Amino acid sequence: MIVRSLQYRIVIVFVGLLLLVMAIVLALVTRTNGRIVFAEMERELSAGTQVFTRLIEQNQRQLETAATVLSADFAFREAIATQDRPTMRSVIRNHGLRIGAQAMMVISPDGQLIADTQSNSAELRLFPFPDLLLVAESAGKSTGFRQMKDGRLYQIVLVPILAPKRIAWVAMGFLVDDRWAQELSGMNGLAISVIRRSGTSVAVLASSLDGPKRSALPGALTRLSNDLSQAVPIGDEHYQTVQLPLGKELSVVLQRSIEQAEAPFRSLQMALWTIVLAGVVIFSIGSVMLARRIVSPVNELAAAARRIEAGNYIEPVPSLPPDEIGQLAMSFDRMREQVASREQKILKLAYEDTLTGLPNRTRFLEAFNQLPADCPCAIAVLNLDRFAMINNALGHPIGDRLLREVGLRLGLVMPGSVIVARLWADEFAFLLEGADQASAMSIAESVLVKLRDPITLDGQRLDVGGSIGIALYPGDGQDAPTLIRRAEFAMNAAKRRHVGVAFASGIGEETQHEHLSLIGEMREALARQEFLVYYQPKLDLASRKITGAEALIRWQHPEQGLVPPIGFIPFAEQTGFIREITPWLLETVAAQTAQWSEEGLSIVPSINLSTLDLLNTGLVDQMRGLIELHSLPANGLCLEITESALMEDPALALAHLGELAALGFKLSIDDYGTGQASLAYLKTLPVHELKIDQTFILSVADSPKNAAIVRSTIALCHALGLTVVAEGVETSADLAWLADNECDIAQGYGIARPMPADDLPDWIAAYSVPAFAT
Amino acid sequence: MIRSQAVSLAALLLLGGPVYAGSFEAYVATTAGKPVEDSVVVVEPVVKAVARHHSTATIEQRDRELVPYVTIVQTGAAIDFPNRDPFKHHLYSFSPAKRFEIKLYAGKPAQPVVFDKPGEVALGCNIHDWMEAYVLVVDSPYFAKTDGNGRAFITNIPPGHYRLRLWHPRQNSEPPLREIEIGAAPTQLNLAMDIAPRIAKQKPPVEADHY
Repeated sequence: MIVRSLQYRIVIVFVGLLLLVMAIVLALVTRTNGRIVFAEMERELSAGTQVFTRLIEQNQRQLETAATVLSADFAFREAIATQDRPTMRSVIRNHGLRIGAQAMMVISPDGQLIADTQSNSAELRLFPFPDLLLVAESAGKSTGFRQMKDGRLYQIVLVPILAPKRIAWVAMGFLVDDRWAQELSGMNGLAISVIRRSGTSVAVLASSLDGPKRSALPGALTRLSNDLSQAVPIGDEHYQTVQLPLGKELSVVLQRSIEQAEAPFRSLQMALWTIVLAGVVIFSIGSVMLARRIVSPVNELAAAARRIEAGNYIEPVPSLPPDEIGQLAMSFDRMREQVASREQKILKLAYEDTLTGLPNRTRFLEAFNQLPADCPCAIAVLNLDRFAMINNALGHPIGDRLLREVGLRLGLVMPGSVIVARLWADEFAFLLEGADQASAMSIAESVLVKLRDPITLDGQRLDVGGSIGIALYPGDGQDAPTLIRRAEFAMNAAKRRHVGVAFASGIGEETQHEHLSLIGEMREALARQEFLVYYQPKLDLASRKITGAEALIRWQHPEQGLVPPIGFIPFAEQTGFIREITPWLLETVAAQTAQWSEEGLSIVPSINLSTLDLLNTGLVDQMRGLIELHSLPANGLCLEITESALMEDPALALAHLGELAALGFKLSIDDYGTGQASLAYLKTLPVHELKIDQTFILSVADSPKNAAIVRSTIALCHALGLTVVAEGVETSADLAWLADNECDIAQGYGIARPMPADDLPDWIAAYSVPAFAT
Repeated sequence: MIRSQAVSLAALLLLGGPVYAGSFEAYVATTAGKPVEDSVVVVEPVVKAVARHHSTATIEQRDRELVPYVTIVQTGAAIDFPNRDPFKHHLYSFSPAKRFEIKLYAGKPAQPVVFDKPGEVALGCNIHDWMEAYVLVVDSPYFAKTDGNGRAFITNIPPGHYRLRLWHPRQNSEPPLREIEIGAAPTQLNLAMDIAPRIAKQKPPVEADHY
């Protein structure tokens, strides 16, 4: 049995040890007592036996002496010498009284009983104990224990009557009865019995034992096999018993009561048992009390520990007596305080944005998860406009202070039920509980209004604006990450379109390929050469010839088929994997161009550079190495850069562009018209070409506004000495309009879709420019 | 019977003559071959027609002993019991052959005690238990007791037919009578007796008598 309770274990150990010790003591005492009792009894028996033997001898001598004196009495002798039997009988009666003998006999020298106090019979008979006579004849006298006719036992002393020659024997019998036995018993301290054995039957002739035991004695003694000292049960007592032969068939039984001998030790044992029982009771009570005293504080501590475990730090650990456990309790309490304060700090760190003091992303997600599933809500994501620029221009400390100020304002403007969190960088999120599209919209607008107030930091007036994307639960997603992502998409869309607020539901479904944004997959794709380069021809409107082509990357995915760039390039840009893709792309395109050049096909390919590519310090060396390797002229390659790529780090971007331009590479501004770049800014850049965004080109022939923008852009570009490329040309009408309005180059489905490199030469050979007016 | 009486008579007539006197020597030993002292050897004539010698014997009480231990007298003889000790004695005999008692006396009693019946008489002193003496009263003048070497010598026995009788105070059984012929030549016989050893009775030292 395993006892788990400390209290019971303490009690068990204490009481168990006590019991063990007591058991050993008891066993020792009992064993020693047993030995002592046995030895003592043996000693008493042996001493008693000696005393008994001495007493008998002494008694015998006294009797003999008395008998001898009596037998020497002259008158007695004279009477015996008369040979007159009545005289003799009266004489022996008289002298028997004198000496105290209960039986007297006169025996003639030839063994005839001539006078007898026990019988008046005139008939002569032989003395019944001839053996005594025989001994007396040689020894002068004899003594023996004999049972007489009356059935009683006598100690018989036989002495001669000398005159001076022996003229007769006189036998004197002294009764051996219970009184005799009791007298002797009083002297040697043993129970004395005289028994006669005839065959197996035992008769008790005299005994100092009392009635019942006296009658039980024969039965007990019949079983006795020898005369050795041994224990004999008589009645309810036990007697250590020895036997001494007393004559023919006669024995003296000397006994010592074992119970009596043990009595003093019994009382000692009783005392010991009492001590044991009392000890066990006292120890049990004491150890229970001690165990309680030990265990109850421990239990209190355990309860306190459970409270702390459950996160209840408020209730202090109970104060206990100042022993070890009390000290432990004090340590425990200090620990509780420390844990509580640390947990608060950790919680703060875990759930709070250290910069703004607003809840962080984790707290935000948790708050969303705590909302009931059936409660509709909205997640809005706010991104500050131009924050990167401010950060770059004024430094991070100002940027941080700006974020803090914005956080403060957001906190002020929001109703209490709305949770405002900073997700990362300049992105904030709102959890609008119970909000529908309309209420979310109004809150978002109020946020934008509040942000519109300029913020003054160190005397500098900063205009911050923002774009907000909103995703609604449960319509736009089931979990917070999805909702946030979709809100971010919406926010990006809102930013791009300069609409301030956009709903996730308003910008279309996410495409499937957004999910396969794994770097590992792209890395494998690169190794397995799953990336392909497609080329979209660029038509020179003046010469009506294909003079260039935009190199566009495709992913021939083994499962998803051909994945367009929008499916993986934004992710590659976010994760930096673009740094591995771009070199491959540059190398592939350069090699292809060299091959075409050898084949006599003169095509200038355009390659898109991302922000990361442009800021890559190795870019210039890489480009230089590329043209040297493939023996290409620098102006045989065109690099396209978006406006936003220029904005990230304008100084570095400009430096790189300058070097590339110096090397002779053609540089082109992509997606012109979607960003904030002004022509005045572009003017300072060492670029050769400008690509007007397709949103302006689409149905330019039919839209007077677009037509005006494009026409003026073309005019301005030409004035600045830039070549103008129109993207997204779809119809021949548009193409004709562009040609009429002196656009230099056109590109779009209206001319050709992007195609594999191998198809391009044949396509060029087969291409005939559609008829359009000049 | 008459003839034999006549022969005896003749023998008696010749008794005084040394020429015809015979002698008898006995050697008495125990059955174990040890010589026996104080054995009484009596040669009894078959015909009781012997002269009575009313001799007087003396048994002294000397040094708290009766001396001699054994005395042989012919029937009718008287014995004197002179007391040589400085204190009194109390002689007695309970023997059927002669019961008597001389109560405490000193010196010589007035009358000697006459032993008029044949038989053995055990003598004791009532105040000194160890004192004992034996008197054998016989009907024959021819007797002797053995000396320390177990020898007894009887002279002047007229030749004739006799019964030889042996006795000892501590004899375990009475030896059988036997017939012997006494002639001119000395007769010698080796005889055996079953004798109990003399049990020395306790005797206090002499000084003790003077307290």
